[in-house]
Amino acid sequence: MLLYINGGGIIMDIKQNKSQKINVTIDGKVCEATTDDTILRIARNNGIYIPTMCYLTKVEPIASCRMCVVEVEGIEGAILSCQSRTTDGAVINTKSKYIDKQRQNIMKLYNVNHPLECGVCDKSGECELQNKTLEFNVNAQSFTTKDMFRPVENWGFVSYDPALCIMCEKCVRVANEITGNEALQINTGGYKSRILNVKKDFNDSSLGESAAVCPVGALVSTNFKYTSKAWELDKIPATCAHCSSGCSLYYEVKNDKIYRVTNDFEFSSLCGAGRFGFDFANENVNKDTQAFTNAITAFKEADTIRFSAIITNEEALILQKFKEKYKYRLVCDEAYGYQTFLKAFGNVSGENLYNANLKSLSNSKGIIVLGSRINDDNPMVKYHITMASKRNSARVAYMHPIEDGNISNIVTQFIKYEVGSEEGVTALLANALLQNKELPGSLRDFLNDLDIGNISAESNVGEEELSMLMQSLDKKEGFTLVVGSDLYNHPRAVQIAKLIGAIQKYSDFDVLLVPPATNALGIALICTLDDEVGKYTIGYNAVGDFELSCLGNGDLDMPALNQQEGTLTTIDKRVAPTNVALSYNGYTLNDIANTLGLNAKYTIDYTSMLPSKSGFKVMDFDELPFNFDMVGVEHRGYLLSTKSIKNIDTFEEIDEIPTYDGAIIYRCNEANQFNMLTNRTKAFDQNEVCLKGSAQFANAAKVKDGDEISYVVDGIRYKRKFKLDSSLKGTIALHPNYDIRLSSALVSSYRFSHLTLEQ
Amino acid sequence: MAGVLFSTWRGEFIDNRNKVIDEWTPSAFALPENYTAHKASKAFIGWDGVALFDNDIDVVRLAKEYAAQYQVYSEACGRCAPGRWGGRILYDLLDKIARGEGSYNDIDHLKEVSETMMVTSKCEIGRTVPKPILDLMEHFNDVFSDLIDNHKPSKHYNAEVNYIAKVTAPCTDMCPAHVDIPAYIEGVRDLQFSDSLSATRQTMPLAHTCGRVCPHPCEDACRRANLDSPVSIMELKRLGADYETDHALPWQHPYDPKPLRNDGKKVAIIGAGPAGLTAAYYLALEGIKVDIFEELPVLGGEVAVGVPQYRMPIEKYNKDIELVTSMEAVTVYTNHRVDAVRLKEIEAEYDATLLAFGTRLSKKVGAENEKHDVEGYWGAISMLDKVNLWHKYRIGSPAEEDLKDKVVVCVGGGFTSMDVVRCSIREGAKKVIMLYRRDEKTIIGNTTYEEYHEAVEEGVEFIFHSAVERIYDENGKITKLLVNRFELVPDPNGGRAQLLKVEDGDFEIECDYLIPAVSQAADLQLLPSEWELAMTSWGTLLTNGKDYMTSREGLFAAGDCEYGPMTIVNAVGQAKRAASVMVRYLDTGKISLSNDEIMEDHLKALKVYDKKEKVSGWMPGIARKSSEKLGVDERKDNNKEVNLGFTGEEALREAERCMRCYYISMVAV
Ligand SMILES: Cc1cc2nc3c(=O)[nH]c(=O)nc-3n(C[C@H](O)[C@H](O)[C@H](O)COP(=O)(O)OP(=O)(O)OC[C@H]3O[C@@H](n4cnc5c(N)ncnc54)[C@H](O)[C@@H]3O)c2cc1C
Ligand code: SF4
Ligand code: SF4
Ligand code: SF4
Ligand code: SF4
Ligand code: FES
Repeated sequence: MLLYINGGGIIMDIKQNKSQKINVTIDGKVCEATTDDTILRIARNNGIYIPTMCYLTKVEPIASCRMCVVEVEGIEGAILSCQSRTTDGAVINTKSKYIDKQRQNIMKLYNVNHPLECGVCDKSGECELQNKTLEFNVNAQSFTTKDMFRPVENWGFVSYDPALCIMCEKCVRVANEITGNEALQINTGGYKSRILNVKKDFNDSSLGESAAVCPVGALVSTNFKYTSKAWELDKIPATCAHCSSGCSLYYEVKNDKIYRVTNDFEFSSLCGAGRFGFDFANENVNKDTQAFTNAITAFKEADTIRFSAIITNEEALILQKFKEKYKYRLVCDEAYGYQTFLKAFGNVSGENLYNANLKSLSNSKGIIVLGSRINDDNPMVKYHITMASKRNSARVAYMHPIEDGNISNIVTQFIKYEVGSEEGVTALLANALLQNKELPGSLRDFLNDLDIGNISAESNVGEEELSMLMQSLDKKEGFTLVVGSDLYNHPRAVQIAKLIGAIQKYSDFDVLLVPPATNALGIALICTLDDEVGKYTIGYNAVGDFELSCLGNGDLDMPALNQQEGTLTTIDKRVAPTNVALSYNGYTLNDIANTLGLNAKYTIDYTSMLPSKSGFKVMDFDELPFNFDMVGVEHRGYLLSTKSIKNIDTFEEIDEIPTYDGAIIYRCNEANQFNMLTNRTKAFDQNEVCLKGSAQFANAAKVKDGDEISYVVDGIRYKRKFKLDSSLKGTIALHPNYDIRLSSALVSSYRFSHLTLEQ
Repeated sequence: MAGVLFSTWRGEFIDNRNKVIDEWTPSAFALPENYTAHKASKAFIGWDGVALFDNDIDVVRLAKEYAAQYQVYSEACGRCAPGRWGGRILYDLLDKIARGEGSYNDIDHLKEVSETMMVTSKCEIGRTVPKPILDLMEHFNDVFSDLIDNHKPSKHYNAEVNYIAKVTAPCTDMCPAHVDIPAYIEGVRDLQFSDSLSATRQTMPLAHTCGRVCPHPCEDACRRANLDSPVSIMELKRLGADYETDHALPWQHPYDPKPLRNDGKKVAIIGAGPAGLTAAYYLALEGIKVDIFEELPVLGGEVAVGVPQYRMPIEKYNKDIELVTSMEAVTVYTNHRVDAVRLKEIEAEYDATLLAFGTRLSKKVGAENEKHDVEGYWGAISMLDKVNLWHKYRIGSPAEEDLKDKVVVCVGGGFTSMDVVRCSIREGAKKVIMLYRRDEKTIIGNTTYEEYHEAVEEGVEFIFHSAVERIYDENGKITKLLVNRFELVPDPNGGRAQLLKVEDGDFEIECDYLIPAVSQAADLQLLPSEWELAMTSWGTLLTNGKDYMTSREGLFAAGDCEYGPMTIVNAVGQAKRAASVMVRYLDTGKISLSNDEIMEDHLKALKVYDKKEKVSGWMPGIARKSSEKLGVDERKDNNKEVNLGFTGEEALREAERCMRCYYISMVAV
């Protein structure tokens, strides 16, 4: 009897995993391509149009609409161009009578149960169905079938109208592959198919990304419904003000009011805050000459300028020039720790900047996140980890003292360490990642001298955990270490930064040092920061003896970021322009500068003067581009050039690990809240800001659900309600601070602290 | 007596309508003329044509019902524009004509929508549904016209007729466990890995395992081979399973397990190999209490103690096992050898009993002086037991103590023997020789090209066309073997080539170990002789291969102890079916098959895959992806998993090669 039926052997010789260069002819044009490219992509690269309904460049091909069919000579039938790769020498035709007829029939089918009541549809004017119906000359409804009644559903930030849905599946793809909220599912049901929101209870603003890609009026922003016709709005290109990802977006404006935020959704995404948190302008401000005079007097008296990181590069440069001219101390607590960290990092890595970016992160096969509650700290980083997880089945190790249930769908290994043990943990990690690498003697000695057993015991990171991590990365390539702001203000930040510098320089890992606030990177590269204030402080969007504020409550009003032009330096090391969306008639920092002896007509005159020794380019603001090209490469502003630094590597002994017993709080602004600007917007207006912790924490802190408590961190007094959160474990609570307005600039400490309640 | 009255199946054209029965042209295909032994079929309609067995069939209604079945199916789909709306329109128009309200305009629209569906649908089901409908419209044009011209309903428009449909695919049909392959591949392509896994688990609980070591018979029936090369079906199964494990997701069951039944009924299973585990899982999903009795201290059967760690890491197999043991309804008893006495007790106590004890006796090589008790004579099964129990569970002692620096000869040619020789290398043997009666090509056919190639790379010496004639021993210890050489002599009359012994070709091999791995037999000691169970000629339990009941009522058998040494997937397929039969047996006391299972067997007989079919509408020449393997020096002295599996990107590219060859067929009875 035959032991095993098997066909092995017949198929083994066709092994070509590597991409190869090929030439194909599309509509008579010879195109260069690779075996990795789809026909549609090759066509687009070469400016050849193929109609599509379900194609979305930023996700893997969906292949639901079947509009993109083409003909290939010698091959019977129609080939789906969005998903098919091709072979060398193929002759492809994108247009023919036969193909046109199929496409036209598909359009007829799309219209079968679509009401075509475009007059009352919000999408009218920017609807793909409307466009294609015209394009393919479909007028008569030659196919019909029975209609059904299907009511619109309100899902919070977005609303869904099943009657308009064409089941292209783009929204589901985005929710799964990019934002990772996994809220949307296809409810297959043939003609009754629809999209389901399986997380309806959880009003997730990242569903806005799914609405953004909807080609018809089926999934739309709830608040934008019926408020304006799309074609009446002006699009103002800008850079998001909320976090250091600095995403590109358009404020869509009519009559000096922002109606909505859109973006080049074909290629890029936003988070909920970027998409819905746009109404933070300082409105109805006029030139208050008295206040201005007071400001000038204050500047003359002051010895310190304290500012938040929500300012442009140009403003940072003005402040730096002030310092150079008048010897002010420049204090920016949000950026100071980061600047120090970056310097120490550069001393060992030999470069002034980290080498990863969001794109390289999304292409990684192995990712380690260290020292950040990344989902809350930087949504765009989380999106890019999601892409790597879904597309590359990337291994994702999340190293943190608190587990985050919101990202368990992308994390493959959670490594918990003790609060305060970051230096030891980084050393263990460096030791693991630098095994078998060629290292300078001092570093090798340092690693050899580590008391691994002891550090392991103190930090609670087991050797088996690290060896499991290393094993899971075995034989893979493309690694990124994502580092977050738990480390920047750590008492041992310099040593940690050096170790991470060593990882960038000597290991297979790229490093991404996520900037802790909107323009922290820009400020770190432009300003020489001081760590302490003097006697008299001007606060710019920060507390001070004299306060300049875009929140409208200070001694002198300032424009918010959507009322200014200038540039921001993003996580991608991109100097990205932002423009004026809403008018502002008050004074600006540049007005003060001009009065104090600097001379520039506009703030953006400083764009070309940004320091080239830090990697900025001599480029005028008006020369900065703002677009994506046909294939999705971003051309927005420019990328900083990385400068080499002479590297020195000396390491100190690992400090004793401090103990954090009892109730601990962790500074963390959850989901969509970043700072005083997000807190100001209608979409994220919170009437109650709570300290959230587990039952175990409540026990340790001796508090109960609903208790009003008061405590002091960094000299700031917080009055909060305590809320039990069953998704949390352990004795660490989440302590938000986005609602403390100008005081937030004072926050300068390590993110974990003991909770001492005031009576 | 049924017969094929009319058929357009797979390109044939038979029209016996106006012929006397003696002159009927027979069909070349095993069409389901009889639905069951007691019930004739009226018609069969499917992706490749239509066949009528009964003169009185209403063809317009048949077409309409077929469209309706597709509608029902696409209720579970609707994932492309042409299928979603086209299917509905097809049905609406056919129903209109069948009601007597149709027009010639409707016929034109039908043809138009059919064409678009056939050219642009995402999967074969949408592309093929119109085919038999168009066939009927062509060959029964007069019937359609009559209804339109005279505004009358079709002849049996309101009659009671039973239409039974089934969706399959060539690969699914060939897979012994009938896994919904296109669905799990689509899950990978959609990056919805948990969907992929729950699709697999509808019929295959051992997703980690069959994503690694299944010999993938399905790939021999992959339509993509008609275009370039088959889809790498087997390895794509790993993604869903790894996703669940990597992200520590809750178990992704195909449906929510039903609550435990409180009628006191329970099933006993003898053996916790793939067959036993599978049956337990599907019974437990139905809320039926299951007790598994296993002789070994560990669960998993041959896959645990036979298949080596470097091919099937136990950490992964344990996940598959945990899926089963985590079910509330399942209890396992290890170190529990069932003998005839115990089996009688069990059989009396439980409402149904499944025998799934495998074939764990190594057969002899059939040489002179072959003795079990000489030192150095070591059956493959017990040798691999020792190796695996040590490496995977730290039970026993390392086989290295026996094999290090020794000369090992294995007689075999199948998977088991490959494992023996590759394990021997890993245990430090000085020299490892495989003796095989036939040639290289056959050994590759029996195993896989990769397996053979990897063994050669690791240093195994293969001697083909050879067989042991005599074993020599001294002082109770094997010393050498006398080996005959054979040659393959072609039959001058064109028949099968003959293996003939080469005169003077004999040679001797000095060795320390002889490991017979020619085949295995079932250990039948546990069967009470008074039951007089019907057996096959090769010493396994006899069933009808459909419901898996033995000759004793309420006693079932599945897996290797039923079929003979076969594959994991075969054991899974049989056990899944047996579980389904047992569920109904507990409810009704009767042995029956569901319509879906009857159709499954009909389609298997008919053969879904058509090697000769010309595939259109897909770009040919897109290379099959292959996953990275450990290099020979990285693997030959350790137990690291050799096959690293697809990277995410490779998996996606490979999944995109799948053409979703779903087909729908329907029988009218
Ligand atoms: C070395 C080797 C390699 C193989 N490689 C592959 C491969 O790569 N791919 C593949 O598809 N197949 C492979 N097979 C075949 C595959 O393992 C079997 O077909 C499959 O395990 C059969 O499953 P089963 O449940 O019927 O029996 P088994 O897996 O044999 O399980 C039977 C179980 O019953 C227990 N048992 C037996 N008697 C009693 C008793 N009296 N009381 C209590 N318990 C008892 C046994 O201990 C065992 O655990 C291989 C087999 C071997 C031996
Ligand atoms: S809601 Fe919009 S994006 Fe989602 S499937 Fe429907 S049409 Fe497509
Ligand atoms: S807050 Fe950050 S992630 Fe969100 S849109 Fe703005 S820049 Fe992007
Ligand atoms: S089964 Fe295939 S052809 Fe039919 S609707 Fe679904 S995707 Fe389209
Ligand atoms: S191409 Fe896909 S659906 Fe078709 S036979 Fe192969 S694996 Fe099955
Ligand atoms: S773009 Fe190719 S199927 Fe929609």
